[in-house]
Amino acid sequence: MIRFENVSKVYARGARPALDDVSVDVSRGEFVFLVGASGSGKSTFLRLVLREERPTGGTVYVAGRDLSRLSSWKVPSLRRSIGVVFQDFRLLPGKTVYENVAFALQVIGKPRHTIRTTVPEVLEMVGLDGKEKRLPHELSGGEQQRVAIARAFVNRPQILLADEPTGNLDPTTSLGIMRLLDRINRTGTTVVMATHDDEIVNEMRKRVVELSTGSVVRDEVDAVYGERESILPQVGQTPVLDAPGRGARAVQRVQVSPEPADLEAERAAEAAAERAAAQEPEPVEAAVVRPTAPEPAGASADDVVQQVLREHERVRAGREA
Amino acid sequence: MRLQFVLTEVLQGLRRNLSMVISVVLVTFVSLTFVGAAALLQTQVTKLKGDWYDLVEVSVFLCPDGSTAPTCADGEATEEQIAGLENVIDTELSDVVATTYFESKADAFEAFAQLYPDGYQGTQLTEDDMQASFRLKLVDPEQYQVVDDVLEGRAGVEVVEDQREVFEPLFLALGRASLLAAGLAGVMLLAAVLLITTTIRLSAVSRRRETGIMRLVGASNLFVQLPFMLEGAIAALVGALLAVGGLWLAVQYLVTDWLQDSVDWVAYVDVGDVLLIAPLLIGIAVLLAVVSSVVTLNRYTRV
Repeated sequence: MIRFENVSKVYARGARPALDDVSVDVSRGEFVFLVGASGSGKSTFLRLVLREERPTGGTVYVAGRDLSRLSSWKVPSLRRSIGVVFQDFRLLPGKTVYENVAFALQVIGKPRHTIRTTVPEVLEMVGLDGKEKRLPHELSGGEQQRVAIARAFVNRPQILLADEPTGNLDPTTSLGIMRLLDRINRTGTTVVMATHDDEIVNEMRKRVVELSTGSVVRDEVDAVYGERESILPQVGQTPVLDAPGRGARAVQRVQVSPEPADLEAERAAEAAAERAAAQEPEPVEAAVVRPTAPEPAGASADDVVQQVLREHERVRAGREA
Repeated sequence: MRLQFVLTEVLQGLRRNLSMVISVVLVTFVSLTFVGAAALLQTQVTKLKGDWYDLVEVSVFLCPDGSTAPTCADGEATEEQIAGLENVIDTELSDVVATTYFESKADAFEAFAQLYPDGYQGTQLTEDDMQASFRLKLVDPEQYQVVDDVLEGRAGVEVVEDQREVFEPLFLALGRASLLAAGLAGVMLLAAVLLITTTIRLSAVSRRRETGIMRLVGASNLFVQLPFMLEGAIAALVGALLAVGGLWLAVQYLVTDWLQDSVDWVAYVDVGDVLLIAPLLIGIAVLLAVVSSVVTLNRYTRV
């Protein structure tokens, strides 16, 4: 689906290359995490797939197209087969949820009746049923990201690119978003997600491609994020990270309660998925796609989120009692 | 769907940059009024030429008694010289000359006496003060030079005169006026192009978020750029329509109703001529808008 063959990208003459001789092959229906430090080339990778940039060397193939030979008037057709989600959501502030999602279809000239049927479908899928008339600023961060995902997915792209989609969200809401992306992946959509969120990567156990200063340093299936401590230089105790003057570093996790709306949305999305599953017990496309994307060995995102949600419910029930 | 969507975008854009749009309209209006005025002046010149050149003749004055011209060294033109000249006109200039009329001294005196029965400025003239001449009506009055080349310098010919010269000062003045209008129009058109460019750029920058998403979801270049192009084109078009309206009013009230009443022996431009140049003005406006939007948009909304 996406193939990088010895791809290099140098932005300014003489500067360090953003990508240096990168070869990666992502097959149809795969879920790939792109990890690495800031400036390691993750965003450049995604921009090359979108053909927002052209490689300085090597070849990029996306959905069977050789991007170096793709003439610029065919770029829109390439981008119609790719959905993109960003850390900062990039919703249009003056448009409602419905209009934001419909916008993506309007501007590629879809007929009105298609829009009228597809947009509510995809909103139900992401769990925003009934919130069509809200404006982005009336929504929580998680809900806004769901709108952005709905917009990216409404045209049923073959590929979904996500550039740190959980970067602005609390851990539980992030898991909800991951669950949604996983569900989208199960429909056969190839998902490539650039992230810094080690917890998510570790829990999802998907393929991980790690970039460092523009090169692929790791490409493993069922992988984890990597040790933070081994990445940071060993400096001993620091007054910034640890309480100054105290002895051993006391690790204490902060308990963050997600916004009720985000949990509600996740429940709605799950209900929608169950309804869809009940309607067609064995989805045809899933049946076709599954063999190419083998079931990961670890726990699926669904299980993880389920667990977190249950945990959260318990904590809240305990607090109320 | 697409059309409705594009129109909504256009309306939004127009509303958002209302003051810029108004300035585009006004600048286009003024510049195209100058273009139109130049065109109307040219039309007026053509009309006058068409009317008056039908009346003008080329006069070939023959040597009178006591002329100082070198070709008249032999004194007054003889019968033979006159016959010879007539022959030359009939043969060598048969393509150029439509009709030939010989005005003898007697004819000339008669015409003079009719025009000035009481003598010219107090002097009573006689037939001998008159000058014989050939009056040539040309097929095309602009071909005076050919006649001049053939006849000037021949024995018996004192001077060849083109009556068009009488009108030259007027045509020169009208020509310069239209040149001036065209020059001003050029400056204003430049201002219009720059202003449209700036307006479109402002519009494009203020809608960066939208266009960014449009590009990401795969909207075609045309679809992204069309609203901006239409915005510029609509503003320029309104300016052009105002210019046509302004010229129409000017011609109707200044020329047809006022000038025609006071000086009625001249053929003037009329509102019909304004309608004839209207497509030209509208075409210029649209061209202006399209050229400036293509230049700007390629820089600001590239895929």
